[in-house]
Amino acid sequence: MTAQAADDHAHSGQWAETSHCRVSAVRRFGAFTALELVAPAVTAKAAPGQFVMVTVPGGGFLLRRPLSLFSVRGDRAGLLVEARGAGSERLAGLEVGETVDLAGPLGSAFPTQGVTNALLVGGGIGCAPLQYLADELATGANVTAAFGFRDFRAARAAGAFAIERLWVASEDGAIGRHGTVMDVLAELDSPPNTVVYACGPAALIGAVQRWTLREGLRGYASLEAHMACGTGSCRGCVVDTTRGRLRVCSEGPVFALDEVTP
Amino acid sequence: MTAPLELDQVTLTVELGTLRLEHPLVDASGTFDVMEYARRYCGDFFADFPYAAYVPKTVTADARSGNPAPRVTETPAGMINAIGLENPGIDAWIQGLPKWAALRRPVIVSVGGNSPDQYAAVVRALEAHLESAPEGTAPRIEGYELNVSCPNVAGGLQIGADPAATASVVAACRAETTRFLVAKLTPNVSDVTVAARAAVEAGADGLSLVNTFKAMVLDRETLRPFLGNRTGGLCGPAIKPIALRMVAEVAQALPGVPLVGMGGVMSGLDALEFIACGATAVGVGAANFTGFEAPSRILAELRAELAARGFAGPALARGIALGA
Repeated sequence: MTAQAADDHAHSGQWAETSHCRVSAVRRFGAFTALELVAPAVTAKAAPGQFVMVTVPGGGFLLRRPLSLFSVRGDRAGLLVEARGAGSERLAGLEVGETVDLAGPLGSAFPTQGVTNALLVGGGIGCAPLQYLADELATGANVTAAFGFRDFRAARAAGAFAIERLWVASEDGAIGRHGTVMDVLAELDSPPNTVVYACGPAALIGAVQRWTLREGLRGYASLEAHMACGTGSCRGCVVDTTRGRLRVCSEGPVFALDEVTP
Repeated sequence: MTAPLELDQVTLTVELGTLRLEHPLVDASGTFDVMEYARRYCGDFFADFPYAAYVPKTVTADARSGNPAPRVTETPAGMINAIGLENPGIDAWIQGLPKWAALRRPVIVSVGGNSPDQYAAVVRALEAHLESAPEGTAPRIEGYELNVSCPNVAGGLQIGADPAATASVVAACRAETTRFLVAKLTPNVSDVTVAARAAVEAGADGLSLVNTFKAMVLDRETLRPFLGNRTGGLCGPAIKPIALRMVAEVAQALPGVPLVGMGGVMSGLDALEFIACGATAVGVGAANFTGFEAPSRILAELRAELAARGFAGPALARGIALGA
């Protein structure tokens, strides 16, 4: 490359972007696929709650897909994928040895400082970032998790999680408690200093928000949104908050539970 | 065909009207937030800014909260968006200028509104600010791009689909500034040269085209419109052949008018195609969503594509698709 052409490319390597991350392990759980990728540039800086933008390999896909970090172990980044559309179907079908490009870690993280009792509340694919959070909290806090799934097929995702005190509910009663995650919360005894971490569809976030208000607990919510850029430019993923319309990709995905308006 | 050149024998500088650009690539408005890039960059992003000029997201006279979610989704070979011109309004926007005053590239401010008065109010407010702004507190604002793909309060039709309304908006802004003034044309018309001519006759120094194509995507479960706004603007590679045709038509109808061509530019060859159709500068939009390095990659590719064809600069390739 000539000096001039090198100058055109002066930006290479100055971004949190990693090309050709190899898929090192794949585990499938019903509608969900747990991927493990070799991504040292991501794992070196990641914190629970953050996400990555993942290219969909094979051509034909323009936009990257946002996926929460499901686990971080050494240089391995774990992602949990639910096949919802053509792009996520392709990602869910990845095999060991295939490669994808990642940008990240992106977005805000769950605050964990000083937390001694944590209650993790997840719904469906929204449970994904809570595993990484549980791993991080496990050294200094009592962690209880309550996850809700739609049906038996979705509930097989529970097998992807390794959290010591994990309560599962399914709406069809096929696994765990017959009902929603809110039914589980009603039966748990949460000490007053419990910090609640919620991730899932808007209806779940709203229900958890009302519940914490009644119980006098504080907490955080990680929100889902359709994204184009994932890096703050397009304003495609904004949500209403008490601070105005904010970008899930940039100011979020983690917000204080009392500032979101699901 | 001329013999290939070495990469460093290619000079990318172009003159877009009165603007001297280091190379032909600019960002398409709304696809590249300089502050978001700057905070993710390991270096001085204002010095290393990859585009030759910066076109920020459209600003309007009053603050706008934009459209309800969802606002974006992928489509075959492209994407659709309905953001709804979310922006803080010109007064708050001006307050934010010191944060990116260190940007060393010229800025072309994208202006929106629903009437000629609303467009002119934005230009007037900014001109007044620049007149009195202390040195080093504002970036180099050298031009305006009038985003006429907004509904007209008088009638509801897109301003850009109405040549007379387009001319009124251009004339109202022309009266407020001597800076480089570009009208960004909508492709949602049967003959894009009509509004193009109206804009130039009303005082536009140049034209940019195309904005997005009005389109609709359905939710595959419910078969209802997917976007919160029901319809949105289609962009990406799917629209490139139509955009090339429109740029060529305007270049042929209005020779000598500086054009910023855009629509689905993903590679250096795509950019060169717009230049071959008569564009002086080329806008890059959806490609910015594919990775941080898209602009520098596309620029390096453009240099290589020019060199491979023996073109020592973009001007030598400009308009070659327009001949017989």
